[in-house]
Amino acid sequence: MEQLLAVWVESLALEQPDGSTLRDTIALADALEAMCPFTEVVRLGLFVMPLRGPSRFFGGDDAVLRMVRQCVSDVVGAPTKLGVAEGLFCAELAAHREVLVPRGGSDAFRRAQPLEVLGRKDLATTCRRLGLHTLGAFADLDSARVGERFNKHALILHRVARGELTELDTQRDPKLARRLAQLRGEDDLFDEQQGFFGQRGAEDDRADAAARRVRERLGAEAVVVSNLQGGRGPEDRATLVPWGSPSTVLRDRAPWPGRLSAPSPATTLAHPVPLQLRDEANRPVVLNSRGVLSAAPAAVIFSSPLRREIIWFAGPWPLVERWWSRHRRRAHVQMVLASGEALLVAAESSRWWLVGIYD
Amino acid sequence: MFAFSPTRPSLSPDLLARVRPVSLAKTRTIPLGEPWRALVPEGTLRRGSTVVVEAPVGLGGLSLALSLVSEASTRGHWAGVVGVDDPGVVAMAELGVDLRRVLFVPRPGGAWAESAADLLDGVDLVIVRPPSRPGHQSSRRLMDRVRERGSVLVALSEPRVSWPLPADILFRVTQAEWATSSRLDARYLTVHVSGRGELARGSDHVVIVPNRRGAAEAR
Repeated sequence: MEQLLAVWVESLALEQPDGSTLRDTIALADALEAMCPFTEVVRLGLFVMPLRGPSRFFGGDDAVLRMVRQCVSDVVGAPTKLGVAEGLFCAELAAHREVLVPRGGSDAFRRAQPLEVLGRKDLATTCRRLGLHTLGAFADLDSARVGERFNKHALILHRVARGELTELDTQRDPKLARRLAQLRGEDDLFDEQQGFFGQRGAEDDRADAAARRVRERLGAEAVVVSNLQGGRGPEDRATLVPWGSPSTVLRDRAPWPGRLSAPSPATTLAHPVPLQLRDEANRPVVLNSRGVLSAAPAAVIFSSPLRREIIWFAGPWPLVERWWSRHRRRAHVQMVLASGEALLVAAESSRWWLVGIYD
Repeated sequence: MFAFSPTRPSLSPDLLARVRPVSLAKTRTIPLGEPWRALVPEGTLRRGSTVVVEAPVGLGGLSLALSLVSEASTRGHWAGVVGVDDPGVVAMAELGVDLRRVLFVPRPGGAWAESAADLLDGVDLVIVRPPSRPGHQSSRRLMDRVRERGSVLVALSEPRVSWPLPADILFRVTQAEWATSSRLDARYLTVHVSGRGELARGSDHVVIVPNRRGAAEAR
């Protein structure tokens, strides 16, 4: 999971009636976006950005933290609390505690937190009487036991405590992105949500209400919406973001030489599955550094007993990107199996991955 | 006594010819896109109906189901996709689906029927791919919900997770064949269309999903 830098600015958390809070929020968001274009205003007072990119660009985590702190005090003139952890829930906690949780340490960090951080007093009290004081102790409970004692909402909190969900449903303000855009005069970015005559139609409101209900049932990340962006492979071009997070502009205008042409696979795996390609003599097929296959693939092996014959393949189509890095050699291969299924397979870091199924 | 006649006044014949009902049958339907329009009665999906798309694993069932939604979504209807774990968003765009009006619930787990029912209240079309074999009762309840809300349910049915109840329209993929050149070009699907009413006889058609541009078309 990605390390997020959370920026908590106490003085912006409560909205003032004169509108200064929103203006300062916009000014600060613009300033932070200049450092990292993926900065997001989660709700009033809370900003997050991925840490990895800026850290590589500015020369280390400490440099980024220093710059962000400087940036906040220049723009808003208020003290800020910074924190780094994986996932939005942990990142916000880290900001309140002002700690930098190292990579892979977020699990232990989360488990050590007191139960009050979930924001439900009754749950915290009951659990304390049961002798459970930390999120970790709560997470170790069987979810069926949690379900019979508390309501549905507690099951979602339980999943957050276990790390299966990375954010609480109360963390995001789904209306905020729209309000900020209105104030900026860029409201047309949201025109997708408007009806035929430019206003939001009744249909859109009904869909919003339905999405909210599913979210209440399954948790904050259950409902996602999609965007298309630039990229070469179908797995790069699609982004699925939780419903209610700020919509990104469709940036699919630039040409992408080497882009895989239509048709695209109807299933694009978010987490590619490793597989092996074998030739006629059952030797592994590899992609050499010139982007050529060592032999024609004849079979694909998902896990050791599962072997499927290939009756047709095309490619490899190399993706020439980051040519200065010898580790990033990517190429796509399309194939049709004897059973009639068609697959899109990619080579990356000298292994083969299933990235798409034309199903 | 009554100042007016309690019986319905008879209309003059020339007025009767011009009177029309408040709600037309046309507004009770959802539009269908190109290859499908010619294959179902009136070329539309009736609101409250359930469509089942049956296909062996990996032979185009998902593409077919997604292509049923494309025309409706470009005309402003919202759609929901429940239980499709990793939707190919690029493929959907190529099929002509307006992604701005699609809500995805990728991994609903055991609550797939409830999530689909929630979405049916708010969107006009819901595609559902049950992660486990749907029970008689939950599918019955879902289809009743569809009828009550006047939306359309598109259920994906695969050999292991087949839809247990008869549908209003059934698209069954019997054969899928890829046309290839130096790359995957087009897939010819042989689809058996059957269902209630006029469709009771059933008929076979060959459609191209997807073609060279990723869209669906008639052969």
